[in-house]
Amino acid sequence: MSGGFSSLHPAVCFAYYVGVLLLGMLLLHPLFLLTAITILIVLQFYHDGGERLRKQLPLYMLMGGSIALLNPLFSHRGRVILFYFLDQPITLESVLYGVTMMLSLLLILLAFLSFYQVITTDKFMYLFSSVAPKTALLTSVAIRFVPLLKRRLKQISLVQRTNGIDVKVGSLRKRMRDGMTLLRVLITWSLEEALQTADSMKARGYNTGRRSHYVVYRMERRDWTVLLFLAGASAVSIAGWMRGYGTLQIYPTLAAIHFAWGDGIVFTSFCAFLLLPIYFEREERLRWKSSV
Amino acid sequence: MEIIRVERLSFHYPDQERAAVADVSFSVAEGEFVVLCGASGCGKTTLLRQLKREVAPVGERKGSIWWKGVPLAELPPREAAEQIGMVFQNPENQIVTDTVWHELAFSMENLGYPLAVMRKRLAELAHDFGLEQMLYKSVHELSGGQKQWLNLASVLLLQPKLLLLDEPTSQLDPVASREFIQLLRRVNQEFGMTIIISEHRLEELLPLADRVILLADGSIKYDGAPRAIGERIGRESPADRSYLPAVTRLYMALQAQVEAGQVDALPLTVREGKRWLSSVWRAEGEEIVQPVQEREQPRQEIVKCLEVTYQYGKGQPHVLRSLSMHVYRNEFLAIVGGNGAGKTTLLQVMAGLSAPQRGKVIVEPSLKIGYLAQNPLLYFSCDTVREELEQMAKHASLPEPKVEIERLLRVFELEELLCKNPYDLSGGQQQKVALAMVLLSKPDVLLIDEPTKGLDPSAKMRLAELLQELRAAGTTIVMVTHDVEFAARHVTRCAMLFDGSILAEGDSHSFFSENYYYTTAINRTVREWVPDALTEEDVMRRWVASSRFF
Repeated sequence: MSGGFSSLHPAVCFAYYVGVLLLGMLLLHPLFLLTAITILIVLQFYHDGGERLRKQLPLYMLMGGSIALLNPLFSHRGRVILFYFLDQPITLESVLYGVTMMLSLLLILLAFLSFYQVITTDKFMYLFSSVAPKTALLTSVAIRFVPLLKRRLKQISLVQRTNGIDVKVGSLRKRMRDGMTLLRVLITWSLEEALQTADSMKARGYNTGRRSHYVVYRMERRDWTVLLFLAGASAVSIAGWMRGYGTLQIYPTLAAIHFAWGDGIVFTSFCAFLLLPIYFEREERLRWKSSV
Repeated sequence: MEIIRVERLSFHYPDQERAAVADVSFSVAEGEFVVLCGASGCGKTTLLRQLKREVAPVGERKGSIWWKGVPLAELPPREAAEQIGMVFQNPENQIVTDTVWHELAFSMENLGYPLAVMRKRLAELAHDFGLEQMLYKSVHELSGGQKQWLNLASVLLLQPKLLLLDEPTSQLDPVASREFIQLLRRVNQEFGMTIIISEHRLEELLPLADRVILLADGSIKYDGAPRAIGERIGRESPADRSYLPAVTRLYMALQAQVEAGQVDALPLTVREGKRWLSSVWRAEGEEIVQPVQEREQPRQEIVKCLEVTYQYGKGQPHVLRSLSMHVYRNEFLAIVGGNGAGKTTLLQVMAGLSAPQRGKVIVEPSLKIGYLAQNPLLYFSCDTVREELEQMAKHASLPEPKVEIERLLRVFELEELLCKNPYDLSGGQQQKVALAMVLLSKPDVLLIDEPTKGLDPSAKMRLAELLQELRAAGTTIVMVTHDVEFAARHVTRCAMLFDGSILAEGDSHSFFSENYYYTTAINRTVREWVPDALTEEDVMRRWVASSRFF
């Protein structure tokens, strides 16, 4: 993905997901959580037409569902007893709390699902390279090796099969020995090649002095504006939360569901925060639609 | 102005009696394009590495190297890294990071350039090299040629004064290598960058070079302008003629046989060759010699590929599409084709190493197939060449392993290397060892993948002799290759693989002489007069036979 929300600076996108997680954990109110989940699901459809979500959904439902189910079985706090299950009182409060927890978990999972699609590996690397540049370089080198070693091992096992070295045939002992041989060839070969890589690094002046750091991304005016907006919206939500708005008191007794004006303000800023990527994705679509 | 000067340089690797570089002196002027050539193991790489301080091998060194009048050793490390750039042989291994932009930036980051400078240089160069499209790609998505471009680009971003290249095109296919050499020409011509390049394949390089240095056994044999060197080689050492372009060889061979018209300048390219020929050819278009048809022999199919279809995975493109092909007993078949046409896959399918999704490969049951992959390192798992060969002999359960090993060592000239670790050998030597290993199991059908890659001309000649010997002994050989000259000279039949299937096949003479682009330099030079001649020997034969033309 290149357009829309992911065209923003990675730090801004990162701030958004941090905010979603933070608010999702603070504002434990079924209405808030449901709204957030709906928005993130819509965002998924903007990302890839809901392809990944469809794949992950069973797992998510299982994880969320089990929390909603298990909480009332183990927790018996609360005043309103709905019924008895195996002589255990099942309370309205614990059922509701379980559902809230389930929604919170789903929100976190959905946020991560979207996170992985927007903050790709290289963006993630970039974000952390300013904190730990050496580690970032090392990671970049290591990332190159993963497909490389895989491909080499495949080649080696193909060729060594013609010499009778094959981990797929023979006794267990022979297979293990052959596996070791293949691994030895892979390691010797890779070390040899790594020496050449080291030469190439030295030849290009590695370790001659302080390294600088090339950065692909630039904070543009738009990024600052968005960051400011996110900071504002989350500040209002958190301020409201500190005054007790935006949460539903469940334990020890369920508070009356009462939507005060304070809740309204928190809800508005919360929604504004969450809808940000949707805004960018929609803008992107509309721009192309109208130009055709 | 002189940029680098080498004075009486000698170099011994530790524990080696023979000097790798022996008493070498030369100096290179700014902006010169110098080609360093010589047989593999003659000290080209060692000499180049002496000029690049950071990668100079450990050993005993005598003599001195001067960088613009200052001893090279006294140059500050930063400057040394910046001003002398080096590109190595293997495109894959020089890459350090995982994305193209990071790889490009890597060398600049090392030298601590400010961000604004890095951005500007990278933008300039990406534009100039046409790298914009792949800037954000992973390095694994690039082809070998693109990887070598990337390596060169990353070095050029430091704006070096001297560029050293150690056989940079030996691992590339002809198209990519031609592009790379043209790029070097541009760098030399447009930026005046001094270039020292070591290479076996001089066909394309020689016309661009200002100067050629021929190394033999660690010392300089010839040093001078390409044409002067060509003439001296022609006069003094016919054995080194194989380094010269085919057209030049043809000219020399003809000069020796008949008076074939003197020219002022030795022809180095097809264009110059044609000009020379058209000036000496008397009767134009008259009585073109008809190709001699070789007698059709009854042929027995021993390997049959029937509608073989292969893909690497679900949803992946088809590498082979309904490919049908036969291999006949005791032939020498070359399969040619571009990069990614599926040549390697075809060999692996024929060797039974990969199973096709559709179609089948039928091999005559009594026959043994030997497969030599492109990368010899895949074969080595022991500490010395001797152990390697002995283990292979054991696996093949030969009756007389010692005799067989001795014979192969002699043929491959590996006796000296017997106690060395396979990893310490040069690329050409490693390939010889791997081929010897495959041959130990005495295959009836030998499948070889790019055997001439990275070999010097004399090694190629010996390889060809050996393959011919094997054929004479009854082995059938199927070779996948990019090397048109080698195929034209030695094989009996040729097949062209394009887009996953065999598009054309035929005996090598008619196959190549019917091609316009995909044929030898000699054929391109003389096709107007002798359309079916592929090698200088062909031309010679015709010329002498029909000397009445002159």
